[in-house]
Amino acid sequence: MFIRTVEHDTSLDKFRAEVRDFCERELPSVIREKQKRGQHLEKHEYISWLQRLGSRGWNTGKWPKEHGGLGWEPAQFLAFQEELGRAGAPPLMSFGPTMAGPVIYTFGNEAQKRQHLPGIIKGDLWWCQGYSEPGAGSDLAALKTRADRDGDDYIVNGQKIWTSTAHWADWMFALVRTDQTAKKQEGISFILIDMKTPGITVRPIIGITLGHHLNEVFFDNVRVPIANRIGEENKGWTYAKFLLANERVGNVDVAKVEGNIEQIRQLMAETREAGKPLSDDPTFNRRLAELEVGLATVKALMADQLAAARLSGAPSLMGAAALKLRGTELQQGILQTGLDVLGRHGMVYQSDALHAGWNGEMIGPESSADVIYEHLYRRAATIYGGSSEVQKNIIAKGALGL
Amino acid sequence: MPSLSSEERQQLHDSLLELLGDKYTFEQWKKIARSPGGEGFGRAEWKEFAEMGWLGIALPEEVGGSAGGLTELGIIMAAVGRFILLEPFLGTVVLGASAIEKAGTEQQRQMLSEVAAGKLLLAFCHGEPGGGYARDWVKTVATRDGAGYVLTGEKGFAIGAHAADQLIVSARIGSENGPVGLFLVPRSAAGVALNQAPALDGRPGATVTLAGVKVGADAKLGTSDSDRLGVIDEVIDRGVIMACAEAVGAMASVTDQTVEYLKTRQQFGQPLSKFQVLQHRLVDMSVSTEEARAIVHAALQALDDKTRDAQRLVWMAKVKTAQCARFVGGQGIQLHGGMGMTDELSIGHYYKRLTMCETLFGDSEWYLRQLSLRRDAA
Repeated sequence: MFIRTVEHDTSLDKFRAEVRDFCERELPSVIREKQKRGQHLEKHEYISWLQRLGSRGWNTGKWPKEHGGLGWEPAQFLAFQEELGRAGAPPLMSFGPTMAGPVIYTFGNEAQKRQHLPGIIKGDLWWCQGYSEPGAGSDLAALKTRADRDGDDYIVNGQKIWTSTAHWADWMFALVRTDQTAKKQEGISFILIDMKTPGITVRPIIGITLGHHLNEVFFDNVRVPIANRIGEENKGWTYAKFLLANERVGNVDVAKVEGNIEQIRQLMAETREAGKPLSDDPTFNRRLAELEVGLATVKALMADQLAAARLSGAPSLMGAAALKLRGTELQQGILQTGLDVLGRHGMVYQSDALHAGWNGEMIGPESSADVIYEHLYRRAATIYGGSSEVQKNIIAKGALGL
Repeated sequence: MPSLSSEERQQLHDSLLELLGDKYTFEQWKKIARSPGGEGFGRAEWKEFAEMGWLGIALPEEVGGSAGGLTELGIIMAAVGRFILLEPFLGTVVLGASAIEKAGTEQQRQMLSEVAAGKLLLAFCHGEPGGGYARDWVKTVATRDGAGYVLTGEKGFAIGAHAADQLIVSARIGSENGPVGLFLVPRSAAGVALNQAPALDGRPGATVTLAGVKVGADAKLGTSDSDRLGVIDEVIDRGVIMACAEAVGAMASVTDQTVEYLKTRQQFGQPLSKFQVLQHRLVDMSVSTEEARAIVHAALQALDDKTRDAQRLVWMAKVKTAQCARFVGGQGIQLHGGMGMTDELSIGHYYKRLTMCETLFGDSEWYLRQLSLRRDAA
């Protein structure tokens, strides 16, 4: 109880200033403008920013130094995320730096580290996550996509679904079944797939946001070198779980949540009821204060998990699940408050305004479309990375021994 | 900076759990709480805690303390909560000692060595009828009387006042518009009348009537007549965060006890712990405990580091802890079913203590209002 210390380091003030200066200088104006309006970025825009961060090693600052990271303490990573958020920079990408990278440097061989880590550190390459399948969502281990040996290759057949940004990805890390007869968790391998390999088809799924973020990915006799397998054959579930703990911590972007609260505060100030701004309304103010308490709690949970990750190499399954549960509930709560404000403007959703070049006339506050988009998109927050109910099963079994 | 290393904190934590787990069983708790004509806590236990160095953990070395930070005191308070200790930690070690430390003269601060040694009990008598949770509501007046003062007024229910050697009383100096000072008033002084009563959790305390109580010049903490509301604010904040730390320990125990109970209780031909609806409830209790632990830890650290947002974090920690305490305490009874309603089982006593921690110094709604009113100042 209250034993571990997350160092409060005033030397971070200097680092914070460095990040602020950097963003001021290096964040392209087109990205800054789009971020301000909540407009979607093109891949080349996003990559150009990630490469700039990469030139400082900042995409992977929290990696240990021996793997090319900067060995940041948790507090420094949090400060970094916060400063990015405040500067209006896009959120950090998690697929490479938080998910693929740590699995590769923890379980991969030297050749794999040499091949893949530099691209993640520099921010050159886009990764996607090949986990979910039509018949394997919450019950991930039920996955059926198969990889059969053929000489030095695996032949991959099957389908992944809900694959975020697969249409942008250079590489996918994927779970495939390499033993059809073993118990379901025991026949899985973890492989890296070059998305340019013949036989891969990516099809868009249009979401309730009316945006394109998700995809289906089909594999038709796709040849993947056995050399692209991480660790041992049929031991993929171990690596998958390691990654999931990191993913759940990554599911909660504190800077983004802080930005959401700021956005709602603005909306309250811009919205009038019977002539008075909602920011003067005691009920809305109480709600805002409660959301701020939630944010402070999630920040404290996050600091704890990052400290645990540095001490023992990975966040605790229990802690990560708790953080994921409460962080995503909080984000939905914030955005719900935003919608409750927007009801006063007729809940107009001009989703086209989220694309660059739209020059229609905006009805209501400027951030309306972004807030509604975010609200719709974050309905998935309690589903992706393992649904809230699955997180509770994990805690029940793993932490409470039920 | 923390005054103890993580290893030393771990040792402190382990020694607390070991000693209390061994000696402060629930049977022992019942014996102390129900001892006829008793004071509601154990004098022998208090002496032993002093010998362990727990009472002086956050006091300066020159008065026999260990000069630890509030985080270390928080570790102790979490153990106090885990075993629902009945001894007067909050009144004496947290509120009383910090008032003397912050406002007292060099000489008055010597009293802290008696606190560390377990020989002096204190009660903080600040709140008054009609003030609610407001921290600046003081109607009691200390009029000058030669070199000393005469105190007149009413103080609200203060836990532990019935047994305190010294009451620390806030009063306006000179007149009802004067600056607020803090005065040491012996409980046995002429003109002090106590109305003793148990609180919801059975722990005794008292309201205090001061009818022309004469005290010397040295009864006033400090020498100046400057307003002490700032000190009082800090003392209450310390009480807030320590009540939260206590609640975190109590919640951890409630969750553990409930998990164990559901593993043994058979219904419909299987242990209750096999039902998913109950598993998820237990997870929510456990996650709530974890949330409160994390934010209380962050607030303790902010206080120790004296960061600018420390007070705001303490208040946020109070909101979150109060909400979690209500949930965890309530579900502790709910999942124990009828057994949870009995005076014989510990779970109901944890519920009552959590309810006290939830409301002491202000409930979640009060702090939410303060947070939203003072947002611009943050």
